[in-house]
Amino acid sequence: MQRVLPSDEIARSVAQPIPRLRLPDRAAVFTRRAARLDQLATDHPLSGYLRLMAALVRAQQAVLDALPPSSVADDELARAAAHRMPVLPVNDHRRHREWQAVLAQLCERLAISADLPPAWADLLLRLRQMPAAALDEQADSLLVGRMERVDPATAPFLMAALQVCWTSLAAALDAARIAPLDVPGVCPVCGSLPVASIVRGDGHRYLHCALCAAEWHLVRAKCSHCDAVEGVAYRFIEQLAGGVRAETCDHCGVYRKILLQEKDQQVEAVADDLASVALDVLVGEAGYHRASANPLLWPSAEG
Amino acid sequence: MTDMTRRQFFKLTGATLVGSSLGLLGFAPGPALAEVRQFKLLRATEIRNTCPYCSVACGILMYSLGDRAKNAEANIIHIEGDPDHPVNRGTLCPKGAGLLDMVHSKSRLTHPEYRAPGSDKWQRISWDDALDRISRLLKADRDANFVAKNAEGQTVNRWITTGMLAASGATNEVGYLTHKVMRPMGLLVFDNQARV
Repeated sequence: MQRVLPSDEIARSVAQPIPRLRLPDRAAVFTRRAARLDQLATDHPLSGYLRLMAALVRAQQAVLDALPPSSVADDELARAAAHRMPVLPVNDHRRHREWQAVLAQLCERLAISADLPPAWADLLLRLRQMPAAALDEQADSLLVGRMERVDPATAPFLMAALQVCWTSLAAALDAARIAPLDVPGVCPVCGSLPVASIVRGDGHRYLHCALCAAEWHLVRAKCSHCDAVEGVAYRFIEQLAGGVRAETCDHCGVYRKILLQEKDQQVEAVADDLASVALDVLVGEAGYHRASANPLLWPSAEG
Repeated sequence: MTDMTRRQFFKLTGATLVGSSLGLLGFAPGPALAEVRQFKLLRATEIRNTCPYCSVACGILMYSLGDRAKNAEANIIHIEGDPDHPVNRGTLCPKGAGLLDMVHSKSRLTHPEYRAPGSDKWQRISWDDALDRISRLLKADRDANFVAKNAEGQTVNRWITTGMLAASGATNEVGYLTHKVMRPMGLLVFDNQARV
């Protein structure tokens, strides 16, 4: 969108560096996602699934609100920054011992919500009966992306609990103390892969972490998976106006979705990525592979 | 760059959706897949470039629509300032903001033209003819005006009766080539600034 800028606005914007990292807003991150899922569910062929995920995400916010505020020790921050390593590493869920308690609370909140389909009631029961060791093992597979070991039925719930723990910690950080990593393409806070990227209203593109909801800056017109700039294209569905595109890369053959706030002010990374499964199917048929899973939708293991 | 992160590649297809979280939680992907059949996938590109107008060299993003597979000519539909570019941070001056009109301008020159002395008509000529004529005129001027030694008898080898303007948006490499081509002939008057 073109508009004429007053000279003082140009001076102001040039004086400030582009914010490298945007940390999640503890009070609203899941509320906004749930509202967006509900909004997208209207007239959607998968409205039932989107509404149930909205219920799960609302439960996430309720559990997060009830958690005591987290903090990260100074020496951990300093060590992570010195070695350019993530401060809340993804492969270290045992330090977040509360994650299984969070999962139990999520299941409890979902179980008391009305209009729960029978399939869900069975699943919640199964989740509550899973031994702690089995849960930890599933969490390991989810967090490090061992897709062949992931059980797609329980994965969204486990992932939801892990998201609550990591988001709580990430929201307590100070962005200025998080150093850039040596490895491109992963979250500077926890080292996870991003679920999608968002081009914000000011034109800057941010990748959205699938685990801790932190967002980090990446220049546009560049593959978020392999850093290539040649052969990057944007695929979208002609009939669906809206802000969702797939950024495909002919260099690595992978795509990740990119959401344009300019086209739709309300876009939310996890919700819009989930609701645009049709785009995934078409881009997959065009020969590209998805870079990483949506935390609320895991494919069958043989995929 | 090689793939340094964990591999999670997969495709969402009818088969993988049936066995996905969605299918296992009791939702049939059928209606969504049926809807997909009515959809057409379009392709757009976003290319980074440099504004050709002045030596500030603002970064721009050029958007085009079109499927290369169908041999259709890519059509530039939008140009805007590159928000990530350190020089202009997404802004453009009025000339830069009008770049799209320059790209599509009907009067945009796409081939060499020649206007004979005294004539009021431009006539199209081939690149070969144009380059031949330019070379001949350059040589005639250099032969007539080349200065090998100055008044003190020092060797200077300069040719200052001809000048050259190169592009403000030229890369380092083009700047290097400009020097390598023009300096050996003694040409001193050349500039990469487009103040004109």
